[in-house]
Amino acid sequence: MKRKLALFVSIIMVLLLATTGCGGDKGSSGDASKDPIKIGWIGSLTGDQAPWGKCESQTVQMLIDETNASGGVLGRQLELVALDTKGDANEAVNAVKRLVSQDKVCAILGPNASAQALAITGVLESAKVSDIATVATNPKITVKDDGSVNKYNFRVCFTDPYQGSVAAGYAADILKYKKAAILYDVASDYSQGFMQYFIETFEKKGGTIVAKEAFKAGDTDFRPQLTKIKKANPDVILMPYYYKEVALSANQARDLGITATLMGGDGWPSDTLFEMAGKSLEGSYLVNHFDYNDPEVKPLTEAYKAKYGTTPEINCYMVHDAYKVLLAAIEKAGSADSQAITDALTKVQVKGVTGTIKLGEKTHNPEGKEAAIQKIVLNPQTGEYEYKFMQKYGAN
Amino acid sequence: MSVFLQQLINGLSIGSIYALMAVGYSLVYSILNFSNFAHGGVIMLGAYIGLYALHLLPNSFLGALVIAAFGAGLIAVVLEKVAYSPLRKRNAPSLYFIISAMGASIFLENLVIATIGPTFKTYPQIFNPVPFTFGNISVSRIDVLMFVIAAISLAILVFIIEKTKVGLAIRACSYSSRGSNLMGVNVNRIIFVIFLLGGMLAGVAGMLFGMKYTVYPQIGVITNKSFIAAVFGGLGSLPGAVVGSLLLGLIETLSSAYIASQYRDLIAFTLLIVVLVIRPSGIMGKITEDKA
Repeated sequence: MKRKLALFVSIIMVLLLATTGCGGDKGSSGDASKDPIKIGWIGSLTGDQAPWGKCESQTVQMLIDETNASGGVLGRQLELVALDTKGDANEAVNAVKRLVSQDKVCAILGPNASAQALAITGVLESAKVSDIATVATNPKITVKDDGSVNKYNFRVCFTDPYQGSVAAGYAADILKYKKAAILYDVASDYSQGFMQYFIETFEKKGGTIVAKEAFKAGDTDFRPQLTKIKKANPDVILMPYYYKEVALSANQARDLGITATLMGGDGWPSDTLFEMAGKSLEGSYLVNHFDYNDPEVKPLTEAYKAKYGTTPEINCYMVHDAYKVLLAAIEKAGSADSQAITDALTKVQVKGVTGTIKLGEKTHNPEGKEAAIQKIVLNPQTGEYEYKFMQKYGAN
Repeated sequence: MSVFLQQLINGLSIGSIYALMAVGYSLVYSILNFSNFAHGGVIMLGAYIGLYALHLLPNSFLGALVIAAFGAGLIAVVLEKVAYSPLRKRNAPSLYFIISAMGASIFLENLVIATIGPTFKTYPQIFNPVPFTFGNISVSRIDVLMFVIAAISLAILVFIIEKTKVGLAIRACSYSSRGSNLMGVNVNRIIFVIFLLGGMLAGVAGMLFGMKYTVYPQIGVITNKSFIAAVFGGLGSLPGAVVGSLLLGLIETLSSAYIASQYRDLIAFTLLIVVLVIRPSGIMGKITEDKA
C-alpha cells in the first residue's frame, strides 16, 4: 500500500516538474490580458531569519502598492505572491516551483540568504524565470566555478570579492596609501576572495603589499603575525574577516604599538564590536553595503517607518533596489514575458538607494556599484564610537 | 633582534596560557589514566564566573579571581560525581570515560548558549591598557600578570603535591591507585582533591583568558591545544605539562614568524608527531610500563 502511495506521489511530482519545465515561455502573466502582472517573492517569514524576510516582503508590498497607486506598469496593476522559505534551502526550491508553475509569476525577488539563492538555480533555469537576490553575497550564486553565468540568477548586492577592490581603490586613490599589509583567515572563502581582489587592485594602482599573514578562524592570538606586520611598517592593514577576530587582532595590534590604519568590510559591524575594541578601531575604515545616514537612504527609511511603525532592516534597502531593477526591466521588455524580462535585466541601469545599479551580462552582479565607506569615530557628545559615513565609492 | 625578542615574548605569553590549562589535564590523567575533555567546559565556566564576580565586586580583582577559582573547582567536582564517579564504580573501560567527558563538554557549552547566550562578553577594563615598552618591544600588562599568576598557581600546586600529606597520597595514587588503596589511602578523596585542584586552575586560566581576549561559549576549544601540549610534555607529568606548553607556544610563534603563518599549526603539530614517534611518553612523561 505504502509503495503504491509513494509511486503515485512520485508520478505527481514528475508531472509537476514537467509543467514547471515548460511553463516559462508563455507561462507568465499572459501578455494580451489585462490581468495583474504577478511578481514572486521568497524569503524567511518564520524561523531565525524571519525579521529580515518579514521586512523584505513588507517593503515589496509597500513598493507595489505605490506603483499601483500611480497607475501600475505597462498599464497593468502588479500583484505580489510572497512565499515563506523558513530559512531552508529545500523550502526555497518548493516555493519557487509553486511560483513558476501555479502562480505563473514573471520574475522573483529574494531570498535573503546565499544558501537558498544557490539552491533554486536549477528550478529557475528549467522554468526560465529570473530571480534577483537581495543580500546573498556568495559569488557562486551568479557565476559558476567554471566562470559561466547562471542564466536566471541575478543579485543587487555586491559580492565578497568586490569589497576587496573597493577597499583597495579607496586606500590607494582617496587615502593615498602606498604600503598595505594583510592579515586574513586562511579557512574562509569570504576572507580569501576579499584579499585576492584587494591585492590585485592595490597593486594595479601602484601600491605594494608589504606583508601577508594568515590565521585560522578560532585562533585568539595574532601577535606573531602582527609582529611581522609591524616590522614591514605598512600604512594600512586589511582585516577581511568577522568582528570577533577583528576586535582581538585590532587590540593586539595596538598593544604591539602598531599605528597603521585598519580596514575591513561588511563582516565588521556587530553589536559587540565597539565594546570589545572601540578604542583600537578608532580611525578605521570599512566597506559596507550602504549607510543609514546617507541622505539618499533616508526617505525610504521614513516611508517604511510611517507604514509599519518600525525601523527597517538592511533588506528593506536591498529589496527596494531589486524591485526598481525589475520594474525597469519590465518596462524595457514591454511585456510581462519572463524570458523578455530576463533579457532586459542586464540592459537597464537604475539609481537605487544603495547606489547606481547596472547588472553585468557576464556576472549578473551589479557592476561598478558604489559601496558606502564608513569610518569609525568617537562621538565627543555621547562618548561612544559610531560609524561615520564618508562617501559612496565604486571600484573601477 | 628586537623582532626576535618580541616573538619570544609572544610565544611565552601564549605558552603560559596553555600551561595553566594543560596542568589540569595532566593532573586527572596521572591518577585516572584518561583525558578529561570536559576540562575546556570548566575553563569556559570559570571565565563566566569571573566575569560575573567582577560585576559583583567591581574593585576587587583578587576577590573575583578567588571566586572564579572556587566556582570552577566546585563545577569540576560536581562533574566528577555526575559523569565519572558512576563509571568508576562499575569499573568501566577508559574509553567510556572519554565519551562521558566529551558529552559533558558539549552539555556545558550548550547550557551556556541556552542560558547566557551565544554572544561575546567583554571583561571590564581593570588594568591600564597601555603596554610596557622597552625600545621596540612591547609587553602588555595583562601578559605580565598572567605570567606571574600562572607561576604562583603552579608553584602552589607543586608545593601541595611535593610537601603535603595529600600530595604524598596523590603521588602514591599516580604510581598505583590500587596499591595506594590497599595501603589505606582513600582514593575517592584523592580524586575529589584532584578535580578540585584541576578545576581551580581552570577557573584561574578561564578568568585570565577572558580578560585577555573575551568570553564566549566556545573558548573551551583552545584546550585542544593545551591538551596536545600536555601530551607533548608527557601526560601525567606536571613539569612536563608546563614545559610542553611553553615549547608549543614558542614553536607556534617562531614558525609563524620565520617560516609562514599559514603553516603555523602544520609545522607545530608535525614536530609534535615527530617527538611522539621518537619518545611516545612525551618529553618528561613516565614510561607506561614503569607505571603499572
